[in-house]
Amino acid sequence: MNMDKPIRRVAIFGLLLFFGLMAQVNYVQGSQAEDLRTDPNNSRQYSDLFNSPRGTISAGGVVLVTSQETGKDNPKYGRSYKDGPIFAPVTGYFNGNATQVERAYNSLLGGKDKRITQQRWFDTFIGKKAEGANLELSINTEAQRVAYQRLRAQTQEGRRGGAVVMDIKTGAIQVAASWPSFDPNEVAPQAGEKGAKRLQELDGARGVLKPLVDNALSQTFPPGSSFKAVTSAVGMERLNLSSSTTVNTGQLILPESGRPLPNSHDSGSCAGQAPLKGAFAESCNTSFAKMALDLGIQQLHQGAEKFGFGKRVTLEPDMYAAKSDVPLTTQDASGKTIPTGGDATARSGIGQQDVRATPLQMAMVAAAIANKGKIMNPYVVQKVRAKDQSELYNASPKQYAQAMSADHAAQLADMMRAVVSEGTAKNLQGRNIAGKTGTAEQGAPIPNSRWFVGFGPVENPRYAFAVITEGPGDGATNAGPVAADIMAAVLRK
Amino acid sequence: MSGLGAQIRAHLPYQRRNAASFALLIFAMVLTLSAFAEVGLARDGKIPGGLFVYGGGLAVLAFAAYFVQAKFAPYADPLLLPLAVALNGVGLAMIYRLDLDTSEDKKAAAAAGKKLVADAADAPGQLMWTFVGIGLFVAAVLIMRDTDRTDAPLSFTPKTAQRYTYLIGLCAVILLLLPIVPGIGAEINGARVWIRLGPFSVQPGEFAKLLLVVFFAGYLVNKRQAMSLIGKKAGPISLPRARDLGPILVIWFFCLGVLFMQKDLGTALLFFGLFVSMLYIATQRVSWVMIGIGLLAIGVFIATLLPFMGHVNQRIDIWQNPKPYFDGGCLLDSGKVVPVNPDTDIFKKYKAQGSISPGFSACAELGGEYSDSAQLMKGLFALGQGGVLGTGLGQGEPWRTPLSFSDFIFDSLGEELGLTGLMVLLLVYALIVQRGMKTAVAARDPFLKLFAGGVSFVLGLQVFVIVGGVTRLIPLTGLTTPFLSQGGSSLMANWILIAILVRMSHDARKPAPQAIQDEGMTQIVSTR
Repeated sequence: MNMDKPIRRVAIFGLLLFFGLMAQVNYVQGSQAEDLRTDPNNSRQYSDLFNSPRGTISAGGVVLVTSQETGKDNPKYGRSYKDGPIFAPVTGYFNGNATQVERAYNSLLGGKDKRITQQRWFDTFIGKKAEGANLELSINTEAQRVAYQRLRAQTQEGRRGGAVVMDIKTGAIQVAASWPSFDPNEVAPQAGEKGAKRLQELDGARGVLKPLVDNALSQTFPPGSSFKAVTSAVGMERLNLSSSTTVNTGQLILPESGRPLPNSHDSGSCAGQAPLKGAFAESCNTSFAKMALDLGIQQLHQGAEKFGFGKRVTLEPDMYAAKSDVPLTTQDASGKTIPTGGDATARSGIGQQDVRATPLQMAMVAAAIANKGKIMNPYVVQKVRAKDQSELYNASPKQYAQAMSADHAAQLADMMRAVVSEGTAKNLQGRNIAGKTGTAEQGAPIPNSRWFVGFGPVENPRYAFAVITEGPGDGATNAGPVAADIMAAVLRK
Repeated sequence: MSGLGAQIRAHLPYQRRNAASFALLIFAMVLTLSAFAEVGLARDGKIPGGLFVYGGGLAVLAFAAYFVQAKFAPYADPLLLPLAVALNGVGLAMIYRLDLDTSEDKKAAAAAGKKLVADAADAPGQLMWTFVGIGLFVAAVLIMRDTDRTDAPLSFTPKTAQRYTYLIGLCAVILLLLPIVPGIGAEINGARVWIRLGPFSVQPGEFAKLLLVVFFAGYLVNKRQAMSLIGKKAGPISLPRARDLGPILVIWFFCLGVLFMQKDLGTALLFFGLFVSMLYIATQRVSWVMIGIGLLAIGVFIATLLPFMGHVNQRIDIWQNPKPYFDGGCLLDSGKVVPVNPDTDIFKKYKAQGSISPGFSACAELGGEYSDSAQLMKGLFALGQGGVLGTGLGQGEPWRTPLSFSDFIFDSLGEELGLTGLMVLLLVYALIVQRGMKTAVAARDPFLKLFAGGVSFVLGLQVFVIVGGVTRLIPLTGLTTPFLSQGGSSLMANWILIAILVRMSHDARKPAPQAIQDEGMTQIVSTR
């Protein structure tokens, strides 16, 4: 009996086994490879990031973030943040995951961007990893330090503060400071396991204090009276008001509840009737609540959208500010949609109720006023250079919006000047800034959010700013001086 | 009846293919040396010193083996030796490359005053075992003589083994039993399949595999007529007589029992496949394959009922869904998988108590079966990292996979050589298996046919079980990857296997002895 036939069959079966293996290897390394590479358990995707030095981040000639060798195999390179807490709102952190600029410019910093790899295709070909590019921020480091110190000093214990200064002609962010902040060094790659724990701790911090969420770009607050700048702008355009139009500053009865809306004082311009400029300077609530009622929430909402409310402002590709909003509807605790009614519309007009804005958004409002109605798109990264100093990217200022006419902007600018010269912020006279105070009650026991939003210098303005601190008191005394100090530092150079 | 073997022989008389073999061997060496060079260039930017030690060493050995083969087995299959050398060389280069990384760990451990990492890539050791392995190949080719010259001095041929069928079967059983013997047995990585001989650890299962092939071949050749013809019909399947099937079943069941006790499921699967395939080759009856698979099903069913075999279930669970087990998971009776990894409180509790394996203890408290799929997943991550073209030798991070130099060396190669490289490696294995099968077909003697067929199939099956395991085609079981994995036993056994095939292929392909009685007939001699 011959055994050749069964041997041949077994040989074929053996071949089939190998075909099975080949098919599986093709499946795993071909179609599944991407899923495997990005699997959350796969430590390679992170380790790969730490195998080559990441680019540096600097501002105004000061190197803020560098990578240096850890002397270990993994991570091979750590990340060092100079004065981490001060600059964290812009730089963000990097530990495999990243935030802010570290995230937005990840591929350039990590050397994986096409702009680098195409330039260095030969390196890629021979397997040499391209080195990360260096970033230059538009931040004014001196002013940023001042902002951080002053916010810390002026914010009530356990509460939040934020400040933004932007160049009105270009949109370049000069200051984006937040209190409280965190130290990115604690969560940088070299911190390893400990860093991951610290990050969790920061993420789960109690109460309103979310150090990982910066209060300059990524947090919204009720803007209070500083929002009257927006209400005025919309009113001027849609109700044909001007700074000299006489408006009612006396008591206002709310349409739905029938309850009166109070002013902070019933003297001066707020005694009954005054030009808009006076009502603005002394921040008479009733005039602006009335204006909001005249406009209706729909028009107020649309008008505010021109300044950037209602959508996330894009600072850099993949870096967004939080969404400021003048809501048409809100949801209650049970998830039911409640339209913004008459009373709420009146309160929205004075930046209360459910109106929310980031400091960046309010700085953009001020920028529109100071810059003939035009808002430039805010940005934080000025330049990107490859390791060989060749320029890979240079910020080109873009217009974000024409929020109002130049005429209206000029009138509003005058009204802002009046706030300091004769209105609620007389304490800031001689500090070469103009602006609007704001004090939003957040309901007991939460302290007020205190704002000062404006521009400087007073004549021929160049920078717009917004400062918020939380605590008892008002915008003029608790946010105004902070803004003045920051602007002094900005204008010093 | 003119069988396929006769046809092949008719087409292959007098063919010496030593030049082809030599050229292929040169190619295998070039492959190996470039692998070493690439490791050095990628890591340090220069040709590594290891190239000369390892590459040179391997080259000397390979050419020595070639000359012995050319002189003493000139009609041997030209592909077997170069293919095996290529695999051994690539494996050695990979282990050398992994050793460069682990040696840093070793230095750090030594500097910290700690014990050296015992379980690490060891390139010098592997070079030594390569030396021993190829030495055994040379010795085996020299000792084993042509089948026809049984009367010559030192008359040991592959066929000699047939005379000692039962003795060899007994040896296989004893070898398998050795690791259970207290004192010389050792448990490494959860499987008790090792014995310690002085400074060396030997895996007797690798040799038992070869002996078992001989035993099966010897036994089945004697009994195959009876087994394939005599038997009671039970429906469509004809059952064999108990006295024909008895002895082989006893030994086979005994082996499987031992392997299950050692938790060496890979080898158990290997032996099962070996048994069924050889039974089929010998009897040519599909019913035998059915009976074999039925027995396996019963065996697996019984195994899952045994309390200490719960992890068979779990292996299958991990195979289907490895993610919940990453870094440790606990399979509860309810079928739910609870993570028991360094992040969990219960793990920390036992970690704090200084428990040697906190995962096991924690899972025991939960009343479940503990396992960890991190190895498998990390191996797959390595494959994913490699993608189609691989990172290039020396440029990946294969050391991230546990056992990257032994069980998971295929994944390590997959990371650095990519899909492309793995296809080549699988082709090389497939070629060896097919050349072995061809040898079986060409062999004249039924015993040798079975022997060669069994040996070739067992090599292919071993590659399938381990490679299928690490690529998640089938549940993962530990086995060595022939010629690639670090380890002496595996290399020695596989080089002997190649030697046997080389000897048998020479036997099969050499010209038939001239029939003296038929002097008058014209003998056609091919003149190349």
